Amino acid sequence: MTALPHHNASTSWFEATARQRLAALLDHKSFAEFLGPEQRETSPHLGLFDLPRQFDDGIVVGRARLDNRPIFVAAQEGRFMGGAFGEVHGAKLTGLLRAAGIHRQDVVLLFDTGGVRLQEANAGELAISEIIRAIVEARIAGCSVIGLIGGRAGCYGGGGIIAGCCSHLIVSEQGRISVSGPEVIETNRGVEEFDSRDRAFVWRTMGGKHRYLIGGADDFVNDNADGFRAATIAALAKRQPLTTSVLEAEQKRLANRLDRFGQAQDGIDVWTALGITDPVGLPGSATEAFLEQALDKRENANGAR
Amino acid sequence: MHTKRMAMTKWNEQRAARADRISAGQAYADGKMVPAGRLTEFFETVIRSGDRVCIEGDNQKQADLLAKALANVAPERIHDLHMVQSGVVLPEHLDLFDKGIARRLDFSYSGPQSARIARMLFGGQIELGAVHTYLELFARYFIDLTPNVALIAAVSADREGNLYTGPNTEDTPTVVEATSFKDGLVIAQVGEIVDRVPRVDIPGDLVHFVVDAKAPFYVEPLFTRDPAAVTETQILTAMLAIKGLYAPYGVKRLNHGIGFSTAAIELLLPTYGEALGLRGKICSHFALNPHPTLIPAIEAGWVEQIHCFGSEVGMEDYVAARSDVFFTGPDGSLRSNRAFCQTAGLYACDMFIGSTLQIDLAGHSSTVTTSRIAGFGGAPNMGSDPHGRRHPSAPWLQAGAEADSTSPAPLRRGRKLVVQIGETFGDKNVPLFVEQLDALALAQKLGLDLAPVMVYGDDVTHIVTEEGIANLLLCRTVDEREQAIRGVAGYTDIGRQRDRKMVERLRERRIIQRPEDLGINPLDADRSLLAARSIKDLMLASGGLYKPPSRFRNW
Repeated sequence: MTALPHHNASTSWFEATARQRLAALLDHKSFAEFLGPEQRETSPHLGLFDLPRQFDDGIVVGRARLDNRPIFVAAQEGRFMGGAFGEVHGAKLTGLLRAAGIHRQDVVLLFDTGGVRLQEANAGELAISEIIRAIVEARIAGCSVIGLIGGRAGCYGGGGIIAGCCSHLIVSEQGRISVSGPEVIETNRGVEEFDSRDRAFVWRTMGGKHRYLIGGADDFVNDNADGFRAATIAALAKRQPLTTSVLEAEQKRLANRLDRFGQAQDGIDVWTALGITDPVGLPGSATEAFLEQALDKRENANGAR
Repeated sequence: MHTKRMAMTKWNEQRAARADRISAGQAYADGKMVPAGRLTEFFETVIRSGDRVCIEGDNQKQADLLAKALANVAPERIHDLHMVQSGVVLPEHLDLFDKGIARRLDFSYSGPQSARIARMLFGGQIELGAVHTYLELFARYFIDLTPNVALIAAVSADREGNLYTGPNTEDTPTVVEATSFKDGLVIAQVGEIVDRVPRVDIPGDLVHFVVDAKAPFYVEPLFTRDPAAVTETQILTAMLAIKGLYAPYGVKRLNHGIGFSTAAIELLLPTYGEALGLRGKICSHFALNPHPTLIPAIEAGWVEQIHCFGSEVGMEDYVAARSDVFFTGPDGSLRSNRAFCQTAGLYACDMFIGSTLQIDLAGHSSTVTTSRIAGFGGAPNMGSDPHGRRHPSAPWLQAGAEADSTSPAPLRRGRKLVVQIGETFGDKNVPLFVEQLDALALAQKLGLDLAPVMVYGDDVTHIVTEEGIANLLLCRTVDEREQAIRGVAGYTDIGRQRDRKMVERLRERRIIQRPEDLGINPLDADRSLLAARSIKDLMLASGGLYKPPSRFRNW
């Protein structure tokens, strides 16, 4: 049989499944799953709608080592219902975060989500609140909670709010972070406000480069597991417990951001205000050139988040 | 009419009538130039009630400014127009009928207006002549549907009216030929007036008036398929097609449909096709638009030559830089021509492969649903066996021999390979295979003589789904044919009602081939096999020459 020229699964974070991402991100064979698919802990709601369930409910949680440092880790599967939060999905993440707080373990979250699963919206919304509380408690206890964003579904809805509570965010160009998604904004505010079909515009307002430039993410990496792994290892080496002064700094940072860019209609307006030399060409620039441009121009979250 | 003519011995009335129109139009024109602001009054002067009018437009480019202006004429001055045009695509094309400006319609394609056109046909606002294929409508332009007025679109014009159409020449030469040489009036919208056009696509003496729209005409990027949306099932069907059809028949000259399944084939050529050692043996000559998904195969040296129906938004620079592959003009840019490319697809290609929405048990297929009339476009020309073909080729002879094992070879027709490819359950889990086409219900509802069938069952040679390939050429009875179709229809109702024993016998005769019969492991059908997995990959593969439209960029 002919050997087929498959790419290495770790060549694209965007393309990979949740399990492929974990395999490529973590130390070799260090991952031990909690409540794995063999337990068949599936959604109690989807069956009512005659919808297919998945044995892990679209999220993989467990413990592992990263550069030999023990961590807790969770990865959402964007291919199953857009990585949306349901009751079981949410409970698995809540449990992991609570355990992290108790055991003083740092947590790495691989986001890939459109937000709450509509078919189990109440359970999903409750889960979002529980997750936020568990993150805050873990961070007060001194744990780092690091979010990785570069999957197909982006990081939307409640996922966007949870990302906002993390101590550190790493994003790739493909990654998108927002609360309301493009279609939702267009439906509610009209196409003049937001043309969801203009994908370049979507990326100029929610995409990885833009979020990095306005301090919405702390690291910008190439779309591969090596990039995410190196940045996560570096982030784990830093330690910043959540304190009142950190929260106050974050509040101040966000107020300043609104002040400075609140009137901007497009990412390009923001980048121009930041003093980027070629704002129109920015989306097309390669990672190295982009990082160089961004270096002394971008807003960052130093001392905040 | 004939006797009247004899009595009056007038033989040049049409020419005189055109001269009258041109001189009446001078009230608004400076030479040939008509200001855009006065277009509606100008139309009310040069167009007559009852005229046959072609507004140029197809599934790609549109004479949008002229369409809008025509929809604004006063119905009491201009009415009962007979629209004879490839595409009913812009809202204004149908506003003409709502407002009582036009009454009768002969067309070919209606993509985005398919639901509204169905409602208007049902409501009686449109008197339908027929739904045609492109080539068929073009043919009738020269016999019994010759336009009195053609409203066309070009990139630029000079003061004499010489037109430059750029890469999107498409239907323009055909429409102008039929109209202008039969004493009809040709009015062009252009993006700009220049001293000298980069190349003359339409000679100025065939063009009577020119309007400076000061903006490019609208073009729909209809042939861009984002590799990010290609599914693993589509990859499996593409592997089956390459290994089970392209390779054994040695298909070099072909046309691909517009769907994701054929996009997957294009993206598998440099990877899977290369691993099978097929480069140079298949897919070297295409009648095809410049599909962005073909870039990796072109770059890997698979493709010798492509002739195009039209262009594709963003592909202009890439095509210009690959003139060994594409047809280009002295200005360097693509020259497309829909009529010639349709003819090439019909007579000079050995295979058509494309997707459809519904296939019945006789193999008839249709993209019509009960509430939509999308028209035919060019697919029936590509997806039919041309009985006028006389030149042999290996795939054509092989298919002919499979269909007819008894006739002596020198008297046996070859067959064009007409392949339908798709997933057993399509978009929103709608089954591809049906007991009865929705097209039949629609024809009944509208009282049409013909159901709008895209590809007739007797033209289809193979059906490819994720369950396998059905070779209909080898079927000898209606029953075998039905079971061959059921045998690849998967878990649809049609598939589950198969006669299992007969399907197994068909498999022994290789009328049905499963992935394992072809040495294909479905688990190998993985997105990592695609030569490009995103629009950005395509742009990078083109060396930055492909400039994707904003709506396809995720960066």
